[in-house]
Amino acid sequence: MEANNFSLFSELYTNYYQVVAKILQECARRPLTRRQMEDIAREHGYGESALSLVPQLILGAWPFLRQDKGSPGTYASALKNPLFPQPLTRLQKSWLKALMSDPRFCLFFTGHQLKELEEALFDVPPLYRTEDVCLFDQYGDHDPFSSVMYREHMLTILDALQERRFLDISYLAKKGGLITRAWLPCRLEYGQKDGKFRLYGMACTKNGRQRMDVLNVAKMLSVKKSPRIYPSPVEVDPFLDQLLCREPLVLEITTERNALERAMLHFSCYQKKVERQKGSHTYRCTIYYNKRWETELLVQILSFGPVLKVLGPPSFVKQIQKRVKNQALLMANMPP
Amino acid sequence: MSEYKELIRQFGKIRSYVRDFYVYGFKTREDFQEKSGRTYDNHRRRIESWFSDYIRTGRNGHKKSVFLTLDSSRIAVNPLYQAWKSKTFTGNDISLRFLLSDLLADGKPRSLEAIADEIQETYGCLIDVQAIRRKLTSYEKEGFIVREKHGKQYWYSKSLPLPQARPSLFPALALAVGFFQGVAPFGFIGSTVLDFWNEPNQYFRFRNDYLVHTLEDEILLPILTAIRQKRQILVTVQSGKSRRAVTYAVAPLKILTSAQTGRRYVCARQKDTRRFFSIRLDSVQSVTLMEPDACYDMDKKDFQGLAPYVWGVSFGNPRKQGPETVVMEIEFDEMDESFILTRLQREGRGGTLKRVKPGVYEYSRLCLDGAELLPWAKSFTGRVRSFHCSNPVVEKKFWDDMHRMQSYYFTAREET
Repeated sequence: MEANNFSLFSELYTNYYQVVAKILQECARRPLTRRQMEDIAREHGYGESALSLVPQLILGAWPFLRQDKGSPGTYASALKNPLFPQPLTRLQKSWLKALMSDPRFCLFFTGHQLKELEEALFDVPPLYRTEDVCLFDQYGDHDPFSSVMYREHMLTILDALQERRFLDISYLAKKGGLITRAWLPCRLEYGQKDGKFRLYGMACTKNGRQRMDVLNVAKMLSVKKSPRIYPSPVEVDPFLDQLLCREPLVLEITTERNALERAMLHFSCYQKKVERQKGSHTYRCTIYYNKRWETELLVQILSFGPVLKVLGPPSFVKQIQKRVKNQALLMANMPP
Repeated sequence: MSEYKELIRQFGKIRSYVRDFYVYGFKTREDFQEKSGRTYDNHRRRIESWFSDYIRTGRNGHKKSVFLTLDSSRIAVNPLYQAWKSKTFTGNDISLRFLLSDLLADGKPRSLEAIADEIQETYGCLIDVQAIRRKLTSYEKEGFIVREKHGKQYWYSKSLPLPQARPSLFPALALAVGFFQGVAPFGFIGSTVLDFWNEPNQYFRFRNDYLVHTLEDEILLPILTAIRQKRQILVTVQSGKSRRAVTYAVAPLKILTSAQTGRRYVCARQKDTRRFFSIRLDSVQSVTLMEPDACYDMDKKDFQGLAPYVWGVSFGNPRKQGPETVVMEIEFDEMDESFILTRLQREGRGGTLKRVKPGVYEYSRLCLDGAELLPWAKSFTGRVRSFHCSNPVVEKKFWDDMHRMQSYYFTAREET
């Protein structure tokens, strides 16, 4: 299906081209053996790409390699120029142009850069109009993307992320207090549901321990670059692994009111496993979640009502029971 | 019988398989009855290959289920984008993609004949001149190649990549693409931009990200084009239950995306009944653009008039007169549970909030379909002092659900 003569499904974007480009890029640095090429294909391609790609290159069906005379069994690139960056297609430019009307776009650029990008894409039509797409259930208190202070903070954070530079941040904490300390910015997380950016910042305590804090960018009152630079990239995921639930959430889902389909889509962003229950029209869904999201998950489950039942872990069942019990008490006190 | 290949010709053929493997995950070979078992086997093998890092298997008795699972907040680039990067190509396609790019990298314009000669001399590769001409024309349309007239001949040169043509935009533009490939419509295009620049998304992750939306992008593009051009469309929708396909002539008005349920809809006005309704994009099989619609502006205006009374995507029963009223009272400790007030304020979608007395707030809203508000109301279970709806069926459903919750979590458990 095409619109504006754009074809979304095109050979130009095929994964195989990217894998071949990566192999050739490496072959231009040093001649590679077949096995080394297969390793690159396995790393960047699909599960069986190495079997399809590498023979075509080695046997010369795709004429980009030559046997290296100095080192038998190795291959060098026959191409003479760097493969990256490549010029963009009309479709890609048109997508970039569409982004320019997104209120979050300016967070990444200075005024001069925005002007220059407008010049660069002046004759490109946008792929779509931002106003034609609406997130109808996003929370009403999303971050103030057009605020000058917020934009300045984001630009400083983005610079520091790339430089691995500590930031001195004054932060409005939960109970209204102000915290000022240095954090190493490691990652930015964006929540579609609430329209908020959160910074994962590593704090180094006095006794030398490291801790990963999560800070709302909109709650930062001042963000300043520190002269301190951290020597190596920080892996965020190991910190997050510590917050993974010990016992997964286990749900029983009925097929009533299309609950299975609704729940499967609703919880598709979590790591999960679903099994059909023998002899009944119910399904058992196991969800692995981060403790930070427990309350949110609880609220989501309550919104399904009785078509979705929590079987475990006991601590989660207790929380649901507490709410259901409170509701029963409220209902008992209602006038008839 | 054709040989199995990892790559495919048509995206539409694998769309529903990827969706079922990712969203459901419990289906076995026997559940995919619409096509032959061999078709299922080939698609399953492809999916296992494309998403090998995220594939898991399960057993249901003696039947094996294959599924895709991941925590979307941990990943840098949506793995389902790989489905868009699986198009087949020919030997000439790949040869010319790399050889033309390498040959023209010096910026020097060349004629078609010169290009064909140099490809043979430099790379020892003999390619038909007409095939080269066709590829150059196609690349010119794509914007890779610039064509200029020199006397009676066309000369071709390579467009300068943005990072070289506009270096002062970088790394800001690469960062922006890294972010928007995860949150904007057609995000997979952004991931191809990162591929073309050989830039990873190092710094951004996304919460509540519904990865499956990407599979609907081929449907979304013509609909957005129709909205922009104020055209009618013919949209063929497959019913979830009966699997029957129905075609409607509609004026598409807006794309409504849910950040909470993972669904995406096109809101439209049906041309014959004049009824407003929303169609789930994952149920749309095809879209055909029709002529510009003379009534489009009027339909849009009517839609804008109704929009404030729509809670989600439903316009309710068209035979009913006017919106329904939902009123509920929520009780909480204002000192220790102020987050409940925050929830009511930020999630209330334009409803009215009134402090009835300390610790009790009344929320009210007019809705074309009060039933749509039920999941949100139920999310306050444990705090609902009263719930009323001008539609008695909706009100009864709420209280019935509350009773059923109590019977499940208490009566049944206490008895055992």
